[in-house]
Amino acid sequence: MRLETRKLLDRAFSGAGLIAIGVMALVLVIILAPIVSKGTGAFVFRGTIEHRKVMFDQWGRGNPEKFDAEKEEVSAARQPVYDMLSRFEADLDEMPRSDRRPYKKPFRELEKALAGLLGPAPGERTPVLIRQQYGATRWDRAQIKLDEVLYTQDWDYSNPDALGVLVKTPRKEAFENTSLEPLFGYLEEHVEEMLRPRMTFYWQFLTDTSKDSHIFGGIGPEVLGTIYLTIGAMIFAIPMGVIAAIYLCEYAKEGRVIGFLRTCISTLAGVPSIVFGLFGLAFFLNTIHVSDSKSVLAGSLTLSLLILPTVIRASEESILSVPKAYKEAALSLGAGRWHTVLTVILPAALPGILTGVVISMGRAAGETAPIIFTAAVSVGRPLLPSQALSQPTPALPWNIYNLCTEHEAVDEIRHVQYGMVFTLVALVLLLNVFAIVMRAKISKKLRG
Amino acid sequence: MNAATQTGLSKRGLVMSASASRWRRIGAVLGQGFLFSVTSLSTLAVFFIFYFIAKDAIPFFQLEGFQEFFTSTRWYPSGHPAEFGTLAIFFGTGLVTLGAVLVAVPLGVAAAVCLSDVLPFNARQIVKPVIEILAAIPSVAYGFFALVVFAPLLQNKGGIVLSVGAWLILAPVLALVVVVLSDLISDRCSDLMKDTVRWTAILVLGGGALYAMTVLGHRLSGIEIMSGANALNVSIILGIMALPTVVSVSEDALQAAGRELREGSYALGATRAETILKTIIPASVSGILAAVILGVMRAIGETMVVWMASGNAARIPEPWYNMLEPVRTLTATIAGDMGEADHVTGSSRFHVLFAMALCLLAFSFIMNLASESIVRRSRKKLGK
Repeated sequence: MRLETRKLLDRAFSGAGLIAIGVMALVLVIILAPIVSKGTGAFVFRGTIEHRKVMFDQWGRGNPEKFDAEKEEVSAARQPVYDMLSRFEADLDEMPRSDRRPYKKPFRELEKALAGLLGPAPGERTPVLIRQQYGATRWDRAQIKLDEVLYTQDWDYSNPDALGVLVKTPRKEAFENTSLEPLFGYLEEHVEEMLRPRMTFYWQFLTDTSKDSHIFGGIGPEVLGTIYLTIGAMIFAIPMGVIAAIYLCEYAKEGRVIGFLRTCISTLAGVPSIVFGLFGLAFFLNTIHVSDSKSVLAGSLTLSLLILPTVIRASEESILSVPKAYKEAALSLGAGRWHTVLTVILPAALPGILTGVVISMGRAAGETAPIIFTAAVSVGRPLLPSQALSQPTPALPWNIYNLCTEHEAVDEIRHVQYGMVFTLVALVLLLNVFAIVMRAKISKKLRG
Repeated sequence: MNAATQTGLSKRGLVMSASASRWRRIGAVLGQGFLFSVTSLSTLAVFFIFYFIAKDAIPFFQLEGFQEFFTSTRWYPSGHPAEFGTLAIFFGTGLVTLGAVLVAVPLGVAAAVCLSDVLPFNARQIVKPVIEILAAIPSVAYGFFALVVFAPLLQNKGGIVLSVGAWLILAPVLALVVVVLSDLISDRCSDLMKDTVRWTAILVLGGGALYAMTVLGHRLSGIEIMSGANALNVSIILGIMALPTVVSVSEDALQAAGRELREGSYALGATRAETILKTIIPASVSGILAAVILGVMRAIGETMVVWMASGNAARIPEPWYNMLEPVRTLTATIAGDMGEADHVTGSSRFHVLFAMALCLLAFSFIMNLASESIVRRSRKKLGK
């Protein structure tokens, strides 16, 4: 082979490596970008008057006087719509029966679509479900709802070889040459006046309880539940993990027994997370009955087993990275072994141990499979700390699954799903960034 | 690295002086005993897991026997009579794992090589956090991405995605192959003809490759994917999830090969690519194998992504390698069915899930032992 070809191959080889790393970085961006950009949409969005109504009615937030004035203006803007509707209804009554027929169904559909956009018409009885008491609360949803008012959507399956095609027809066509025709133009032009979109910063999303199965409100109970589970897992995992690491590093004499313990630990690290979940169900709940139903306690215990190997390994590594001279100095001064460990090695290793602990906290917060059968429920109130021993809790990871696969209004509440994922990812990444920065500082200190 | 062998002190053991009081001696023994018991308690967990999973799995085999479980593809746990054939589910697990390995191993090993041999130290410090963040993202967030972003993309623009992907992967590879092949062909000619032959070969081969690519791309872009929730989707995401493990373990293995090998190879006039391919990778192949095993374990044990985005259809795709069909995996079945089986503790339907978990557990245990023994042997070989 010529030298230039060899060089070319060499460059291509390095290039392949660089591309692989580039792909990884790109994947990270591709995965995080929608989560971050749409996730912030749960917190910052153009909220309509309907959102402010929800906030006022359900949580008592907002200035009543200003709010009432705004409501007046909005209902003034909406009045023509309802006038047109009632005029059309009067027209319908005058028509002969046969002429009336073709309008009946489209009219009812139109009214339904309008209720989706603007909420129930004034004077109507308040619907039972909260979701039907309000119109579109967010401007992005309002535009979709407006589209539903202006157009009817149908799927065309006439070509059997291809997937169905979406066909949109303007609703206007159904009401041509009636008194209702101008309604559509009016809606299109005045929708902003009717809904008053305004930039809203809804930070209470993090703390609010959800209403009407997550269609309104926030993710407070889920956040709280995740925090409980994480803290619970750490309470069990840290002492055990650190003690095991101290023993393995400082006391254990290499041999069959210790080799066996190490094999056990690495096996534990390899057990699939769903198996932990089953084990938690079979052992903590069905065998030793730590609680009558699923509970935060059972979930924490299960999670702590899952992160135990991580904690042990991180602690071991940071204990080993303590310079030997520290230990020798302490021992030469006459300190006992245990004394040395407690006063010299542990303090020096503490930042490293903390780093490992913080990373495994992130892991515990994000794990779903182990808590499915042991701790998580799909809806619930925020728990008091005292209930954590006996009660199940909603938790972010599990509710993400629940909301985006099993929820009745999957598409309606995309922003809540994204907001939840964003919150979870932000929580985990913050913990990790904290750990990465801390480790960088330690390594600088140890080197310098 | 073996923890205790590095600290010379603990290897020799610290002997308490003869003048130490009896109480101190007893205290030391008790203290060590306490530490040992806590440590073994945390490792005892493995036995507990095996015992309690097996305890609930065995009733299934007693009730239903082994034959149906392992040989039938009919999974109708709620039917009358219920059928518990898990062959298709095992197959689905294998298929997505294979796909994940195909994604993770080439990318991961290439990235590891780049990290250990190509990038300068400073750049490495920037890349490492990227890998750590990829590893830190919760699995349910990956699942969400697969279900909400990736699956609709595949479903609506599947053909285009596939053909763009094929171009991106194949085009550079083919370009390289064309250049090298034409070089090899022209090598046998006399010096006068060399350049002419080479350029003709490049043109002919390049044209052929381009034509083949265009045809393939056209074929692929014609494909309509019925459901974005399929094995391909899950394989790609699982591959990404397994990447950090593969990268960091194989990078360790590459680093462990040592400077002397590299310098020796460079001294013989080898390029970096030749050094790595012919010297470093053969020397660290066992470490890379261990990385692959750990990646496989990660992919097999993952639950949320497969549950959310694999389509959960318990049948073997037609033909078997068709990655565009929905599949069902062991982990997803356990997670999904337990909710319904939970209320009827004692029935076969409850126990069959434990039987599946036992299979998973046994498999991950064997894989773990394998990777451990590989690492140990390679360490011996490298003299560390």
